[in-house]
Parts: sequence; C-alpha cells; structure tokens
Amino acid sequence: MNCLDYRRALLGSSDESAAMQAHRVECAACTAFLAEHAGFEAELRRGLEVPIPGGLEQRLLDRGRGRARTDRRRFLAAAGVAAAAAGVGLFALLDRNDPLALACIRFVMLEEAKSIMMGAMPRAEAVRVLADSLPFERIERIGQVRHVAPCPFNGGTAYHVVLAVPQDKVTLLVMPDARLPASESASYDGLYSRVVPLRKGSVGIVGANRAVVASVAGAVRG
Amino acid sequence: MHTAPESSFEHLVRTYAGELYRYAYWLARDRQLAEDAVQEALLRGWRAYPRLRDRGAAKSWLFAIVRNEFYRQAARDAPLADAVDIDAIDLADERASHAGLEMREALMALPAGYAEPLALQILGGFSCAEIAALLATTEGAVMTRLTRARHALRRLVAPRPVRAAGGGAR
Repeated sequence: MNCLDYRRALLGSSDESAAMQAHRVECAACTAFLAEHAGFEAELRRGLEVPIPGGLEQRLLDRGRGRARTDRRRFLAAAGVAAAAAGVGLFALLDRNDPLALACIRFVMLEEAKSIMMGAMPRAEAVRVLADSLPFERIERIGQVRHVAPCPFNGGTAYHVVLAVPQDKVTLLVMPDARLPASESASYDGLYSRVVPLRKGSVGIVGANRAVVASVAGAVRG
Repeated sequence: MHTAPESSFEHLVRTYAGELYRYAYWLARDRQLAEDAVQEALLRGWRAYPRLRDRGAAKSWLFAIVRNEFYRQAARDAPLADAVDIDAIDLADERASHAGLEMREALMALPAGYAEPLALQILGGFSCAEIAALLATTEGAVMTRLTRARHALRRLVAPRPVRAAGGGAR
C-alpha cells in the first residue's frame, strides 16, 4: 500500500484496516493525514447528528401499541362474525393468501423502493407496451400516475405503476404474460392485494386500504 | 421466561429510534417527513417482527423498512420523474462556488444519493457490504460514493481565503 492507496481507502471508510495501519505507522505524512482526517470525521458525525425531536421514542411506541390493540380488536371482531355466520370452515377465507397476490405484496414491501430508484420509463413507451393488456389511458383515468417502469417480477417482466388515487396510493403490477383463470387476493402486514385477469395477462393491485384496492380492481377492468 | 414479540420490538424501537430518525432525515431533509417515514415504517415493522427469522439482522431490517417507506411516500407525493444517474453528477462542478459552508450546510448541499451512504456508515455503523445490500448496489459503487462525498465535503467546508489587509468590506 502506498500513500495514495492509504488516503483513498481512508476517504471511503471511517476506519483503518490492518494493511492501512501497517502503512501508516511507517509514514509520517499519512500519520499527519490521519490526524487531520479524524478531526474531519468528528465534524462529519456532528453534522449528521441532527437533533432528535423531543418525545419521538414515546410517540413511536404509543402509536405502535395503539395500532397493535386495534389490529387485535379488528381480528377478534372479524373472527366472531365469521364463526357466527359460517362456522370454522369458512374462517380461513378471512386470511386468504393466493400465491400471485402474495407475491405482489412482497414486491411492494421489499422491491418497490429499488424499482422507483431505478427511474421511470417515458409515458409514450408505457402507452405502447401496455396497450394490449391494460391501456395506460385507463390507468390515468383512475388516478395520477407517479411512477411507471418495467421490473423483474415472479420470473417474468411486469410493469410497475404507482398510482395516487383520491383516498390513498396504490401499486399496480401489470403482467402481460401472466394468464390467470380467476381473481386472487391476499393480505399481509397491513397491505391488501387483488390480482385480476385482463384481456391479455393480469394486473396485481396492492394498497393499505382494502376498499380502495377493491375499487381500483373494479376500475382496471373498465 | 417467554418474552412477547411486542416487548422485543419495543426494545428495538427504544434502541434505534434516534438512528432511524436521523437516517430518515438525511433521506427526506425534512423533520416532519422523516418522522412520518419512521412512524409508518415502525408500524409495518411491529406487525412483521414476529415473522422475522433472523433477529440478529433486525437493525438492517429496520433501516430497510424506513428506506422503503420513505420512497413509498415520496412516490405518492412527488411528480413522475425520469431516472437520475447519481454516479454521473459532477460534485466538483456543482458545488465549487459554495466553499466555506458549515458541515451541516455542506451535507444539505450534497445530493441525497451521496448523503445516504454516509449516514448509513457513520450513524448506522454499517459496512460497505451492508450498505450495498441496503441500497441494492455493489460494494464498489458504495466505496466510490463515500469517497466522492467526503472529497466534496472537504471542498465545501474548506475555509474561505483570508482577504488582504484593507480589502475587507468592513
């Protein structure tokens, strides 16, 4: 390792490796650079450590505990209604998790941010590629398109659309090559998903509000 | 003794709330947006935590949820935009005229794509490999961004040249 290697490595990492340390103990110039760098790093840390709002931790805990209680109450109420109406046999339908619908939720939880970061495709291109499955103009009538781009999904290619509707935001995954005999649905971690067949392929709709997802699922069929 | 999942999660919230907020701040550059992102992310985390298999990875999992939630909110609120190649931004040209800033001002002047890996490394204590996994990029790309960010910050916070005697405005 030479001085240039040492300084480049130090600028990429806040710590010294063994190789870096071995060079530095033999080099007065790099020893001086390290001392100056340590001051810079301390200043950098102070700059990044923005003040934390007072009571943040308690607000986070209170809201989380409140939501957990609400979720339990909703679950018990739904369980009571289901048991009274149809017995244990139909109870499983409350948490039906079809595989493609569940994959759509997983995409939103784990892949959506990455897809958005990769950037959007031009509108004209979206109009062209979606013409046979779910016309882009129809999507635009349902809500405001915030993002549209192709993405790898479920072993094929889907078109990822982030759509702002008046009540919420929903994610669409248009899958021109995924033929589906019947609609699918799933719910997981506060997200709801419906996958509905299209003239060509299918589309998954994911959102945090079950009624909004159902409404958009109806609208995409035209 | 059995510990309820909520109790374990509450411990995580107490441990990482500050770090998560600061990370979200450097994504959003706005206090309220940062707190909203952390709130929503932790609500999702609260529900999902019982199913988290690798509890040792809880910290990076929380950071990933915050990141995901921030971009979900950003996509809901921001207009449709074309891709920006973060690695193609010339930090030297863009920021050369602003030398002499305080460190926090200099960090605010950095594109988010450069401030984010710094926040993950310094505030979160993540390695380049861990940051690469979080940002869905390569370790080399992370190293490059960290190096470029530090170079840019050094230029930005460099002291302004001292004026000659008698030439000052005051």
